[in-house]
Amino acid sequence: MSVHVASVGTGRFGKRAESQVELAAEAAGLALEGIGRRPVDLLVVGSMFSHGPHGREALLPRLAGRLALESAAGFRVDSSSGTGGMAFHAAALAIESGRFDRALVVATEKMTDRTTLENTRDLAASLHPDEVAAGATMPGLAAIVTQRYLQRFGRGVEVLDAATAHARAMATRNPAAQFFRKPIATAEIAQSRYVAAPLRLLHCSAISDGATALVLERGAGPATVLGLGQGFEALRLIDRDDLTTFGASRVAAKRAYDAARLAPKEVEVAEVHDAFSPFLYIHAEDLGLVPPGTAPDALANGEFALDGRIPVNPSGGVVGRGHPVAASGLAEVAEVALQLRGEAGGHAVASAPRVGLAHAMSGIAAHNFVTLLGREGP
Amino acid sequence: MSEPRVELSRCEACRARFVPTDGPCPRCGSTDVHPYEADPLGTVLASTEMTNPPPGWPAPHRIALVELPESVRLLAVVDGPPPAPATVVSVRRDGAVYRARSEPAR
Repeated sequence: MSVHVASVGTGRFGKRAESQVELAAEAAGLALEGIGRRPVDLLVVGSMFSHGPHGREALLPRLAGRLALESAAGFRVDSSSGTGGMAFHAAALAIESGRFDRALVVATEKMTDRTTLENTRDLAASLHPDEVAAGATMPGLAAIVTQRYLQRFGRGVEVLDAATAHARAMATRNPAAQFFRKPIATAEIAQSRYVAAPLRLLHCSAISDGATALVLERGAGPATVLGLGQGFEALRLIDRDDLTTFGASRVAAKRAYDAARLAPKEVEVAEVHDAFSPFLYIHAEDLGLVPPGTAPDALANGEFALDGRIPVNPSGGVVGRGHPVAASGLAEVAEVALQLRGEAGGHAVASAPRVGLAHAMSGIAAHNFVTLLGREGP
Repeated sequence: MSEPRVELSRCEACRARFVPTDGPCPRCGSTDVHPYEADPLGTVLASTEMTNPPPGWPAPHRIALVELPESVRLLAVVDGPPPAPATVVSVRRDGAVYRARSEPAR
C-alpha cells in the first residue's frame, strides 16, 4: 500500500516568542491548509523536552484540542534528536497497516526560554548514564567522534569550517531556517569560541524554537514513501569499535534501500542530521552517497551544492536551520518532500530530483532513521 | 607493593571485555558477565575540553577516550590539559567515574 506526503507545513525556526503549542499549531495549520482541510484520522506528535518542570505537560491533547482533532487517534513519540524521524515512520507505518487514511505529523521543540545549563543537561539525557557520569555532554562526545574522524582520514580542522560554511550558505536561501539571509565568512566560523575542542560554537547546531508538520495520506504522489529503515548501535560510545562511522545509520540505510529496491547512487537529494557540522561527512559516507573518508573532498568539489552531483542539506541542515531537537528529523523529511514536490522555492536543487533521502539521528547516533521518498509511487 | 589495577567486566558468552555497566553484555546481551582485574595503563585515543559541562562539574571540564589492553575503551575525567592522542595514561576508579593521569614511559 502506498503512502505519500500530501503537504508540508514549515514554521520558521529560531528564537520565537510563541508557546510550544502555538508553534506546533502554526506548522500544523499550514500543513492542513495544504490539503484543503480534509479530515485527518491520526495525529502523531513528537517532542523531547515537553514533559517535567516546564509547564508543558499534555502536549498531545492540547494540540488535538487546538486543532479540533479530538476525533482522531493520537500518539506521542520521543527519540531525543531523532524524534521527528521516528514520528514520520510511526505515521507512515500506521497508514500502511490500513487502519488509518490520513495522518498529521507534528514535531516541535521550545528551547530558547531555558538556560544553557538546562538545555545541556536535558540534551545529555539522550546519552548513556555511564558517560554522563563522567561529565560528558553532547558536544563533548561529538568532539571525540570528530577527532577520531580527522585522525583516521588525515584531515585538518579546516574541514569543520567548510562544513559549517556549506550549511550556512544553504540556509541563507531557506526562509524557514534560523540563519535565513544571515551569510557568514569562513574566518568568523574558524574564530568562534571553542565549545569542546576541536568543535567551535559555529560547528555546533544552534538552540532553537520551532515546529514542522506534514500530512501523510494513503496513495501515491510526487513524494511517495519508497522505503523506511531504522537502526540501533550501542548507546555507550566506549562500546563501539569505530567512531568514524555510525552503525545505526548504515543499518537504517541498508534497510531503507532494500525496501525501496534502490541503490545509493540513485538518490538525487539528501538531508542528513548534522547536529555538529563534521557529522555531514560521516552521514554522507554512511548513507553511501560518497565513499568512506572522501566527503570533505566531495564538498570541496561542489558535489553537495544545489547544482552538484548529489545535493546534501539544501535546507541548511541542522547547523543552518537551527536545532529545535525533536523537530529537526521531521524538517529533514519535509525538505525532501518539498524538493520532490517542486515546492522548495529559492533553495530548490537544480536537477528536479525524483528520489530523495532523509536521515535522522538520536543522540550520538544511538538510533537512526532513514526515509526514502520518490516522485513516482511504487 | 602490588601495582594498582582497574576492575573491568568480561562476558563469558562472547568473550567481550568492557567497562562495567548495570546491564548485560553490551555486545551480545548475555548476563554471564564477571569482573576481572586489569592493567590500568592505556593510550589516549581522543580528548576534549568542554566549556559548558553538566551541572556539578567545574568549567572547563576535560575528558579523554582511553584504550586499555584488549581493546577495552573507557571515558575518563582528566585533571589538567587534555592529553594528546597516543599519550600513555594510567586510569583509576574514583567513585562513579574514572580518572586518567599522564604516565611517564616505563
